[in-house]
Amino acid sequence: MHQANLSPPIPDSLPTTPSPLTSPGLRGAPPSADERAQANDVIPVSDATETLVHVDNLRIHFPSRRSPTRIVEGISYSVARGETLGIVGESGSGKTLSSLAILRLLPRPAQIAGGRIVFEGEDLAGKSDEDMRRLRGKRIAMVFQNPGFSLHPLMTIGAQLSEILAVHENLARKDAHARIEELLQLVGISDPGTRIRQYPHELSGGMKQRVCIARALLCNPSLVLADEPTTSLDVTIQAQILELFEELKARFRMSMIFVTHDMGVVARIADRIAVMYAGQICETADAETIFSNPQHPYTRALLGSTPRVDQRSTRASGFRLPTIGGSGPTILHQGDGCRFAARCPEAAPECTRLAPLPLTVRPGHSVQCLKRGSIGGANHA
Amino acid sequence: MLEPVPSEASLGPLLTVRNLSKSYPVTRSGLLRKKVVGTIDAVRDVSFSVDAGETLSIVGESGCGKTTTARSILNLVDPTSGEIQYQGRDVVRTFATGARGDVLALRRQMQYVFQDPYLSLNPRWSIRQILREPLRIHQRGESSSWDDQIEQLLARVGLPGSYADRYPHEFSGGQRQRIGIARALAVDPRLLICDEPVSSLDVSVRAQVLNLLADLQDQLSLSYLYISHDLGSVRFLSRRVAVMYLGTIVEIGDVDAIFDRPRHHYTAALLSAIPVADPRRSAMAKSVRGEAPSVTERPRGCPFHTRCPAARPICRDEVPALMQDDPDHKVACHNPR
Amino acid sequence: MSDSRSVNAAVPFAETAVIARHKPKGIWRQGCERFLHSRTGMLGLALVALIVAVAILGPFIAPFDPQDQSAMLDPGAKAPPSWIHPLGTDRMAYDVASRVIYGAPTALIVGLGAMSIAAFLGIVVGGIAGYRGGLADEIIMRATDFFLVIPVFVVILAVVRLLSGMVVNTPLESIPYLNLGTIIVLIGIFGWAPIARMTRAEFLRLKNQEFIEAARCIGATTGDILFRHILPNALPSLIVMVALGIGGAILSEAMIGFLGFGDPKAVSWGQLLFFNYESLKVAPWASLAPGAAIFVTVLGFNLLADGLSDAFNPRSGK
Repeated sequence: MHQANLSPPIPDSLPTTPSPLTSPGLRGAPPSADERAQANDVIPVSDATETLVHVDNLRIHFPSRRSPTRIVEGISYSVARGETLGIVGESGSGKTLSSLAILRLLPRPAQIAGGRIVFEGEDLAGKSDEDMRRLRGKRIAMVFQNPGFSLHPLMTIGAQLSEILAVHENLARKDAHARIEELLQLVGISDPGTRIRQYPHELSGGMKQRVCIARALLCNPSLVLADEPTTSLDVTIQAQILELFEELKARFRMSMIFVTHDMGVVARIADRIAVMYAGQICETADAETIFSNPQHPYTRALLGSTPRVDQRSTRASGFRLPTIGGSGPTILHQGDGCRFAARCPEAAPECTRLAPLPLTVRPGHSVQCLKRGSIGGANHA
Repeated sequence: MLEPVPSEASLGPLLTVRNLSKSYPVTRSGLLRKKVVGTIDAVRDVSFSVDAGETLSIVGESGCGKTTTARSILNLVDPTSGEIQYQGRDVVRTFATGARGDVLALRRQMQYVFQDPYLSLNPRWSIRQILREPLRIHQRGESSSWDDQIEQLLARVGLPGSYADRYPHEFSGGQRQRIGIARALAVDPRLLICDEPVSSLDVSVRAQVLNLLADLQDQLSLSYLYISHDLGSVRFLSRRVAVMYLGTIVEIGDVDAIFDRPRHHYTAALLSAIPVADPRRSAMAKSVRGEAPSVTERPRGCPFHTRCPAARPICRDEVPALMQDDPDHKVACHNPR
Repeated sequence: MSDSRSVNAAVPFAETAVIARHKPKGIWRQGCERFLHSRTGMLGLALVALIVAVAILGPFIAPFDPQDQSAMLDPGAKAPPSWIHPLGTDRMAYDVASRVIYGAPTALIVGLGAMSIAAFLGIVVGGIAGYRGGLADEIIMRATDFFLVIPVFVVILAVVRLLSGMVVNTPLESIPYLNLGTIIVLIGIFGWAPIARMTRAEFLRLKNQEFIEAARCIGATTGDILFRHILPNALPSLIVMVALGIGGAILSEAMIGFLGFGDPKAVSWGQLLFFNYESLKVAPWASLAPGAAIFVTVLGFNLLADGLSDAFNPRSGK
């Protein structure tokens, strides 16, 4: 995997009590014919393994009397079992909302306005609240950005985590504690017996995030959503947490959707990457391709405009960072067409009128850009 | 490397900080008054200098004391001890007991760019009022010329003059940060202290503001003290860098030398922890163990020894001093790489 | 990437496109616009405007002089509403409508006068406490606590009674409206505590914000910071409290008058209630009319305060 590191030791073998972490659910049944058919859409999907999640033309809007504010405009992507999809975008790109939509946890007044979210064969967009409640935490789990806010400040770690087990798995207290300790150990928290009795404020930021990751893994979910889980952490702690994610990925073949704004983080953690801007997906490809052969002007600009720490500064010769003109995406842009057009160095007049549909440049690499050959279309079916 | 303007080279460094320390008392509420039960050393014995026309960056993670150091220079925080000199003038004494004229003169030389673009502009004032304030206080020209000066300031930071009559909430983060920079430039300073000016901005906007800072430095021969935790921007903007950990400088010197060949183990750990936008390189990144000790439980000896892979017995007992390694490279380590 | 470099030249003004269509709008303008959309606020404003109009136009619209007792003979005291006396006559044959109309300016003077005193004291004291902190803050806060818990009402009654006793047979007795003035001052003096609290909270919140530090960095004096930076930002919350306070002051004066401690020479609604309470069964209109006037006025100021509060502190998710 990687050379000897100095992060806290993770047990190589799990305890012999029937550990939920090795339950068959994680490996999954072979893909059905329908799922294969879905996977062969224009939407690129890595071959061989089944599709766990398939988001199809998802639209999210704020309803309003006059005309709804379109936040997310028909995005589509897939995540295969065992794969990590990284969604990269800045603030206002809709990346967080689209992952919250999978869990149907959109904050009011945002609503799903159309499209399908197919998870393990079922369309989540149409499920009842009760069914969604049974799903959350059990088959799909989420790790949030700020661990300080996502842990209950007035309950001990143990109490919070056993509550989840009580709701979803009806475990006896002793078994619940055993599983919690096992998981805390797994995520690199030393002395889990003591930690269980502590309150969140007694833990550091990195520790809290590890607890949140443990919490997400409690019921052995098929899919983990991570929304900028390292953004609020210091750089060295971020590295530790990313390493933890890598270990968990490798060990349990975790399927993950990892949302972030940091190209460096996504380079490390993601197998495939989708780049979002203002509610639209610009480009989807595997990690290597996005960095070595980015096609969309926004992807290129994003990659170019971040100053690299490992590159010698040539400021003296008048070098300046390549920039993207204008300001970030705003909700004001409600027309049809590509939302990056206003800032795009290659924009043509038709870019503001026609929304580009995904074009497969190569197997597994799709771009939505009229200048790269995408066909324009209306935003709504 | 930027050449300092010849006539100023003879004056020596613009800003000199020597043995700066800042401690906060930890109090417990007694019956009638608060009892001091300990101290938090936010900044401990920090020394550095900034030459005319150059940028010195201070980097470190949260709690390392870089912001406190920056704020001490402009009296936003009272230093506990130490010396700060600006072109030979005693800064600390001027702010403490100097006449208003002297204080204003010093403020004309050094200005501050704040981190948060949303909170650093008065929400009830128009941009014109915000920019007029420094002109009024420092009496820069006739009041009839102020509107022209405001337009020029806005143009310098790349904003149209018509923005002067708008209010901060109408602008994006990047634009507000430019306005903050314009305000700092209004008094025509020589040194700008920039406290994480791009951390709160979107990635695509950061490059714009960084470019602006680079342009302004070239056009106006400004010096910068640039505080950040983003080492990429540090490498772009500065010639020298100081790495801080738990309130002390552990390595200071030429930015290329330090980033390419870090001698201190913390610097190395910091550099390798940064996720690089390259999937092949990222896989090799390794992390340093443990977490930074809390500021109230400062380890004896070298502050980093609890996490250092190369710690030796001496590191626990003795605080390493900054030793000259190369002409422009100092390290505080008993066992440098 | 060379094409990106050429974009840089166009960067500065590309942003204009987004902002171009907006007119400059200050926080006050914004607040006003939000206020205009607030139904409670507009209703409150309408009621207050009505009372103010009645107060100003009083002498012109009142059918009779408030001291006019000519109705004693025809139609007599406690007469029900009629065309000549739209709200009837009261126990002493005064025209109720006229007395109610002339009570309006009294109420407003009490409200505005008392709140001016309270606001001035409260803002000064709260501002010092919030900005200076430390020992001054502690002392001031304990004083504020004291003023918040003492039974203001009882104290005011006692002082008024004492004062009228002291003033009898002295030259001070001839000062017009001394009693009313005393009441106004007393309500004001005891009303500063909540405003001081709010002011202190606002000053505490604002004094550490970055734009205040920025002002200090630029070289602003303490006076600049207090009056040009902090106070304007604190005003919206304070205005709301003052509006509420006006309603409260009017109500207090009404209660004082109702208990018989009011100024006999002034026409006030509370006093009308005091005079006509006994004949409530026989001539209810004489009590209901001033009662309704009090209700409408206080309601108006409260709704106004609500509207202002919504206007300047909009809740998210409107």
